[in-house]
Amino acid sequence: MKILEIKNVHKIYNSSEVKVHAVNDISLDFEKGEFAAIVGPSGSGKTTLLNMIGGLDTPTEGEIMVDHTNLAGLKSSALIDFRMRNIGFVFQSYNLIPVLTAKENVEFIMSLQKWNKKEKDERTYELLKAVGLEDRINSRPSKLSGGQQQRVAVARALASKPKFVLADEPTANLDSKSTETLLDIMEELNKEEGITFIFSTHDARVVKKARRVITVEDGKVISDERKK
Amino acid sequence: MIWKTAWKNVWRNKVRSLVVIISITIGIFGGVFAIAVMNGAIEQKVDATLNDEIAHIHINDPAFRDNYDIQLSVDQPEQTIAMVRNMPGVEAVAPRTVITGMANTATKSAGVQILGINPESEREVLQLCQTTIPGTGDFFDAESRYQLAYIGEALAKELNIIRYRIDESMLDSLAKREVPAEVLEKLVPFSGHRFKSEKSFKKEVKGVLSMKEQHEYGAVIKEEAWSFRARSKMTLTFLDKDQMQTGAVFRIAGIYDIKNSMYEMSQVLVQNEDLAALTGMASNEYHQLIIRLDDLESTKVVSESLKGKLDGLEVMNWKEIQPELAMMTDMVSKFYAIFMVIILAALAFGIVNKMLMVVLERTKELGMLTAIGMNKKRVFSMIMLESVFLSLVGGVTGIIISKALISATARKGINFASYAEGFEAMGYPAHIYPVISTSFFITVTVLIIITGILSSIYPALKALKLDPAEALRTE
Repeated sequence: MKILEIKNVHKIYNSSEVKVHAVNDISLDFEKGEFAAIVGPSGSGKTTLLNMIGGLDTPTEGEIMVDHTNLAGLKSSALIDFRMRNIGFVFQSYNLIPVLTAKENVEFIMSLQKWNKKEKDERTYELLKAVGLEDRINSRPSKLSGGQQQRVAVARALASKPKFVLADEPTANLDSKSTETLLDIMEELNKEEGITFIFSTHDARVVKKARRVITVEDGKVISDERKK
Repeated sequence: MIWKTAWKNVWRNKVRSLVVIISITIGIFGGVFAIAVMNGAIEQKVDATLNDEIAHIHINDPAFRDNYDIQLSVDQPEQTIAMVRNMPGVEAVAPRTVITGMANTATKSAGVQILGINPESEREVLQLCQTTIPGTGDFFDAESRYQLAYIGEALAKELNIIRYRIDESMLDSLAKREVPAEVLEKLVPFSGHRFKSEKSFKKEVKGVLSMKEQHEYGAVIKEEAWSFRARSKMTLTFLDKDQMQTGAVFRIAGIYDIKNSMYEMSQVLVQNEDLAALTGMASNEYHQLIIRLDDLESTKVVSESLKGKLDGLEVMNWKEIQPELAMMTDMVSKFYAIFMVIILAALAFGIVNKMLMVVLERTKELGMLTAIGMNKKRVFSMIMLESVFLSLVGGVTGIIISKALISATARKGINFASYAEGFEAMGYPAHIYPVISTSFFITVTVLIIITGILSSIYPALKALKLDPAEALRTE
């Protein structure tokens, strides 16, 4: 079942001096349950592509359909709401809210969606347990290691049961052990719960784990390999 | 969750938030306490004016106030008094004869208004009788074979009825009141001296004491040097009903002190029967009826009702008699609001500055929040709430401190003794009891919340303009 369709997408940045074609006619489809990595060197356009998939940026040309909804057809407030309900985000530098505990960070999106307390508590515990942090629910980000913070970020990304999770360089700031733990957790969530993960990365460890590797260079897809 | 996050965000950078909170606290405390002092002074002034000087309503001939013509008395006074007494809301009525004249002693004279009163009814309407300076007599209580006059402290000083003297007993009293020996030594050369006036006493004493000594012991020295001879004499002269000059020697019944030099200088009270005998007026002939009401709030209703019933007489309520006082009481709440708005506007710039820094520092976080699903309304609310919490913490702390200080000083008051003459010259008491209504605290709290909201608008709009993708790229 297709959950994401990218059709002939272009992104052109027009500055006063130069015109940068960051994404050049990319078309991709993603099925539910994929564990895919978009790889490429710095400046290849992978983060721009990920931003457009997440509705954080708009294509200059082309269409992005998430679960048959064209993101370009959504108004600003509807797009934010759509993102909240359908797309999970994991960022390179964790981006947790520093004044909130791990539990509160995970609950945040559920609160915006006005879940009741019981549902929130159950879901939060379930997610923090899934990322192995059920004993750190009341810790603030400053009291957690980088790997632990990124695991909280994964739990937060999954809080609203999104269609897929976009992870932009999720392991870039982590040591090998933390990277391995994080990838194992995400792989397990993908396999057992069917959650779709799309990474942008140039980390070989992520590429190794990914079952689909899309290579981007100069804004174009130069290969799209599925592992068996 | 947005409320909780906003509250926690306030304390994210404790030092910076505390600086803003403390500045708001000081601003609100300063503003509220200053207003409480001003309000206390004004309320005391209004109370004193109504209770000691003019009462609530006056009735007189329509032309009487133009030049205080002795001929213009109230027509059918007995019936009018009886009718007014029976009016709902009226507590008491006192008739008065009002004549302009001169008060003279051997050395000085002054223009005065002589009020012929009936002490019994006057007591029911005004509390002036309760302001007699101890040791100077009473309000026509004691039997006397003389004609008596009840005069103000300022007039007594002006006419040299009150004098200042330094002698051994006065120096002993000062020593008992713990005035240091070195100060007393400076006063010894004046021992046995009676000063001609308060002015000359002050001039001499200031000449020998340092500024610090004057500030610390001046009031005590003045108090002990004050001297008055019972039943001192003065002459009152005026025109009688036939426009012939007349007058008589009056002994001082007592000296009143209402902390209003202007009134004290000009108003001399004598018994109506004494005045009638001199002016040739009938003993039941009066120029003015002064009325005390049960409730100040009913002034307008009762005065309007009286105006309808008393044809041919002028009825004036206290706001018409003293329009400047009325204007002050009517304007004062607006002035307080403007005063607080100015303080809060100044504080608002501090809050705006703080919140702009917040938005700048949290660009990436705000980008993340927008990315994961916080819409513009919620981002705006979160920043606005943080600003409101910041303002409220500082504001409510300021209110609590000012409330505590107002309560602490309300009982004993604040004595601006050093400026007493200035205050009294303007008709204000120098001993002020700060007071402020609960509704004012509510108004200030609402103003603080509004300040918080307004201060957040510009920073919040800045936050709303952030592009999430770009914001997430910032370091």
